[in-house]
Amino acid sequence: MDPALAISLEEVRKTYGRRVKALLGVDLHVRAGEIFGLLGPNGAGKSTLVKVMLTIVRADAAKGTLLGRPLGDLETLGSIGYLPEHHRLPPYLSGRQVIEFSGAMSKVPRRARKARAHELLDRVGMASWGDRPLATYSKGMKQRVGLAAALVNDPKLVVLDEPTDGVDPVGRKEFRDLIVQLRGEGRTVMLNSHLLAEVEMVCARVAIMVQGRVAAQGTIDELTASSRRYEIVIEGGPPAWCDAHTRVEALAPGSLASSGIAGAGTRLSFLGIDAAAAQPILDKLRVEGRTIVGAQSVRESLEDLFMRAVTDPTTGLILKPGAVS
Amino acid sequence: MQTRAIFIAAYRELSARKLFWLALGTTLLVVGLFASLGINEDGVSWFGWTGDSPFFNSSVMSPETFYKLLFANFGIDWWLGLLATILALVTTCGIVPDLVAPGSVDLLLAKPISRARLFLTKYATGLLFAAVQVSAFTTATFFVIGIRGGAWEWSLFLAVPIVTVTYSFLFSICALVGMITRSSLAALIITLMAWAAISTVAMGESLTRHGLLANTMDIAACTEELANTDEPPDEDRKEELEARSETLREQRDTWLSVHGWFYGFYLCLPKTGETLDALNRVIVDANAFGNEDGPRPRGVFAPRIADRREYRTAVETDDASRSMAWIVGTSLIFEAIILAIATRLFVRRDY
Repeated sequence: MDPALAISLEEVRKTYGRRVKALLGVDLHVRAGEIFGLLGPNGAGKSTLVKVMLTIVRADAAKGTLLGRPLGDLETLGSIGYLPEHHRLPPYLSGRQVIEFSGAMSKVPRRARKARAHELLDRVGMASWGDRPLATYSKGMKQRVGLAAALVNDPKLVVLDEPTDGVDPVGRKEFRDLIVQLRGEGRTVMLNSHLLAEVEMVCARVAIMVQGRVAAQGTIDELTASSRRYEIVIEGGPPAWCDAHTRVEALAPGSLASSGIAGAGTRLSFLGIDAAAAQPILDKLRVEGRTIVGAQSVRESLEDLFMRAVTDPTTGLILKPGAVS
Repeated sequence: MQTRAIFIAAYRELSARKLFWLALGTTLLVVGLFASLGINEDGVSWFGWTGDSPFFNSSVMSPETFYKLLFANFGIDWWLGLLATILALVTTCGIVPDLVAPGSVDLLLAKPISRARLFLTKYATGLLFAAVQVSAFTTATFFVIGIRGGAWEWSLFLAVPIVTVTYSFLFSICALVGMITRSSLAALIITLMAWAAISTVAMGESLTRHGLLANTMDIAACTEELANTDEPPDEDRKEELEARSETLREQRDTWLSVHGWFYGFYLCLPKTGETLDALNRVIVDANAFGNEDGPRPRGVFAPRIADRREYRTAVETDDASRSMAWIVGTSLIFEAIILAIATRLFVRRDY
């Protein structure tokens, strides 16, 4: 048991009925105090994994800990805040009552939960709507109140499933800022979202799930390291030495070169090197009198990484969405 | 803390439903109707108008008995036992389906509360509706009988736990069906059908029991008369009685067999009607009618040979012979089994 891990899951398996294999031995590790993104196409098993963590779904097999306590420990749930996707908050309660009810269910003392409800309504921008029934709220407002309800127990771990679903762009920015603030307060945040750009902006580490397995896991830098390259755009055709691997190796050790058309010029791409390692190449191009139009370090975006993870490397086809039958 | 929070939320849910206030308003209207009725030496009065009656007047029964009878026969049997129960089922049939609805159950299961406790607490909140309705009705009736009838009858408040428990027998079925189907409508319809089936079995058990009693008394009367026809000899009557005795003994086997089946089923089912009957017996004193025969028994199969008055007394005694503990106890066993199945389903299901 590593105290630095807020979530440590090993060999989590779940089959619905006899045929639908939702989780096929998932290993997942989330460090305390980080914002972790859980990504994957529909039916990849993300929600099932979260539900297994929170005892909503019973795993066929699972080992691991949550906040240092064994998986399934009831009292640990009192230190977790959870905002499910497509939640149904009681429409007959006001925002304040929803937050207070959530607090009571998490065993927060009455006085503390009243104070927290007041503070959180303000924090999610719903102070003026707090005493109106949820039936009068928009979807974005319900998300805000849902987030506040997830935070009422002052959780050490916050699990957010599509938290910005139905929230307008301004609200999304506010949500992102709030998530970053939560990390600043020492909380661990697990963010389950389809919005890759959003995840890329706030998450330190991510895991990509595909068909019930974790296809990739690590920091975005780690996961995109293999795709790191340096690109140089020059006027005219490619230099002759670019095709000779030994000569490129002599200029930038460990690099693989390729070239392609870029408008009227040529784009030279050197895989596996950064700007410093590319300087000898730039020097050689200048010595040869080539006009350098542009030069930059490039790496995969999270979207590229995601698409790579969901693509079958043998066929090049996108893997079928959904769990394995 | 969690139980209290669930009950407060349930109260808020109930008070947000129009049907709750409609049912409560109707309850008070029914009590208002009771209060508007009166009894005097000429008959029954209603807003100053008196309908003359030789059977219902203050010389036959006291105002206190009149109101108690109204409460027992109309208030409990018809209003609380039927109409208010249906209203309560309509209002509360969605509690379990709403609990297990996606997006709703996740929020609760992710809290530090055991699934069994969560389910049983939500189930108990369903009984809150019935308890509130019965409490309102009983309290209002208590004041009507006190002010109009001149008797402050605290035993009326027995109706609150007993009617709530009676409702719980049906609500357990509603909870189980709601758990299986996740549909409020299915829970309501199947519960009403189950209630009708239970009432049919109860009626069958009661009729066959009374039939068996009539048969037993006829055999005894036959045997007694046969013993008395020897001196002086009356051969025709003796032959007739012997033939009838033979037929009655043959019928007895059929009565025993049919009643045995009905009793077997009835034993396993909740006794909704009989629980309310037992409450009636507690509230209304049979000797307070000014008629020593007491209320009419429900025996349908009148004896042909035995004395009918004796039969009515025997039916009355037989009906009263089942203790409240047996009636409620066997019903609670049924409820416990149904609830255990529903709870197990809730605990083991993935959401």
